[in-house]
Parts: sequence; C-alpha cells; structure tokens
Amino acid sequence: METKTLELNLGGVRPLQAPPQEYAPGWYVDPESGQPVYYDGETRTFYTLSGGIYIPLGYMNPAPNQVTLGPGERLKVSISYKYAGPAVSGATERFCVGVYGAFGFTEKIIGTNTRSLSQSTTPLTYTSEYTFTIPTGVGTDWDDLYCKVSGGSPSVNESIFGYENALLITGKDPTISEFKITDFVKV
Amino acid sequence: MLEVNLAPLALTTGNFAAGDTVRVTVSFQYRVGVDTSLTLRAAPYYANLFGKHLVSACVGQTDLLLEPSSEAVEKTAAVDIVLTPGSLGGIENGTYGLVVWLRSGNSTADPWTLPSPLARAEQDNVLVVSGNSGGGITDTFSSMMPMLMLVMMLGMVGPLLSGGEE
Repeated sequence: METKTLELNLGGVRPLQAPPQEYAPGWYVDPESGQPVYYDGETRTFYTLSGGIYIPLGYMNPAPNQVTLGPGERLKVSISYKYAGPAVSGATERFCVGVYGAFGFTEKIIGTNTRSLSQSTTPLTYTSEYTFTIPTGVGTDWDDLYCKVSGGSPSVNESIFGYENALLITGKDPTISEFKITDFVKV
Repeated sequence: MLEVNLAPLALTTGNFAAGDTVRVTVSFQYRVGVDTSLTLRAAPYYANLFGKHLVSACVGQTDLLLEPSSEAVEKTAAVDIVLTPGSLGGIENGTYGLVVWLRSGNSTADPWTLPSPLARAEQDNVLVVSGNSGGGITDTFSSMMPMLMLVMMLGMVGPLLSGGEE
C-alpha cells in the first residue's frame, strides 16, 4: 500500500540553558489581532488565553498542500530541526494527528520517537520521521497535525510546529461531486 | 467587462409513451474510505404551488457499490424507470421533469426531503409523456363532474320547491 508523505520543519530547538530571551516575561498586545498575549520567559513562547487554557501562539500554520488519506492508508510525517547545545539523551519527538480548534489541539493518533542530540556549538540538523496507519474509525475532521521536540536530559526547550487542514480524510461517509444526468433513452 | 457564465449542458427533451422504460445514465466522482452501498433512484416529477412531487409509481432504483478510494474516482451508473400508464395509477400525459438522487441505507425519502440525499440532479420539463388512452375511469369521472354536481344541486333544491307548492 502506498505511503503518503508530509514534511515539517520545526526550525531550531534550544536547550533550556539558552541565552536570555528577547522579551521580558509579561503581557503584550498582539499587533495583528489586538488581543492580549502572555510571553512566558521559560518556554520563550507567546500564549493566548482561550477557554481557560493558555495556547501557544503561532505554532499552527496553514498547510502548504493537502494529503488525501483513507482508512488503512499510511502517512509518513518527516520532520527536520536544528539543535546546538549540550548533549541531550532521551529527547522526545512527538507526532500527532487530530483536530485543532478554538480550545486547542485534540490528539487522535500519536506517535513518538526517542533520540539523543549531540553536543555542538553550531546548529546541527536532525531529521526524523514517523509513519501513521490511518484507522478504520478515522473522522473526516482529523485533518490537522503537529510535531514537537521536548524533554530529555538535560531537557530541551519545547519546539512545536503544526499544519492546519493538512489532511483530506476520506472516511466512511462518501463524498460525491460532479453528479449529473448524462443521458436518458427509451430501452 | 467580459462576463462568462458556465452552466451544465441542458438535457434535450425526450418524447415517450406511457408504458415505456427509460434508462437514465448518471456520472459522478466519489471518494470513500470503506466499501459503501448506495441506492440510485430516478423518477419523473411535476411541480405546482406546493413544490415538486414525484410520480411515485414510476420511481426506478438500483444499488451501487463504491469501492474504497482516497482519490476521486469517476463512476457512471444507469437506472431504469418504467412509465407506468395512468390507467394503472401511474403517469398521465404531459410534460415532466427528471430527477435522480443517491442515498445510503434503505431510505425511500424523496429527493427533496431532509436529510438531503448524498447527491441529486434534476431538470424540469424534459420528459414528454403521451399515449395514455383518454377513456380511463379518472377521465370519465372528471368529464362528468359538472353534470353530476348539477344533478346533485337539483336534487337538493327540488324537494324545497315541491314543499313550497304544498
């Protein structure tokens, strides 16, 4: 069976002992939306409050293309990222397919890899992949995915990146289009 | 400014006789994740102030099996409808629309009933039906209606008049 591929670039992964962040922790106003956002100095991430939950800003992005999938088919998600810092053992690469909405990301299928990162003073590129098999009970709204790198010893700063509407799921309900009468004759 | 409107090609009107069988061919694209059975139905219809109505005696149906595919698949299918004559409770002479629709399961709901079918295609005034004999029970009754009403009215008024003379 064909395996379909989706690639994500997580950008840079930093150790927790990274140099001081550019922003002081505290509240800011998002210049685009005008809504208040909180900058967390430890994770070096902006957060917005939605439904009582702080959600990192900007980790979900419009998908550059869609991958069409149905039950039983396989999806290979490839990621790449850069890391510079002390050697890290047991860092976790997490791959999730699910539903992204107003209250965050609801994970439906999860895969993880564990890996070690080498000590380096210059950013080294790491690549990884995980292959999902789409279950029979897949929902047609399971069209979002994200990947992140986190944890390990010493722990790396969580780096997360995702795509909205990256998957076009073919579920148990058929999708019909271009339905038309082409002819009618007496027989 | 140039404006271009694209619309599906209209079907050409066809002439049929009561009792004929009409084969309706449809085409569509689908995607589905599992083996799926659907029912394709077709029927003539007419429209009035209260909406569109199937000629229920002339609904044809066939079962379709859609094999799983995550990519769009082109499919054609055909369904036969029998233009049952009016004398047998079927279609009367006249001009009718043609509607085809797809539903899953055993739902026999008409194509305009909610929940909507998975797909529907229709066109007004494409079936011209003739050939029904004019001497059916319904026709005879219809032509006699005015005379029957007159007789009934006379029957009601007659006793009043005769009662007045006494």
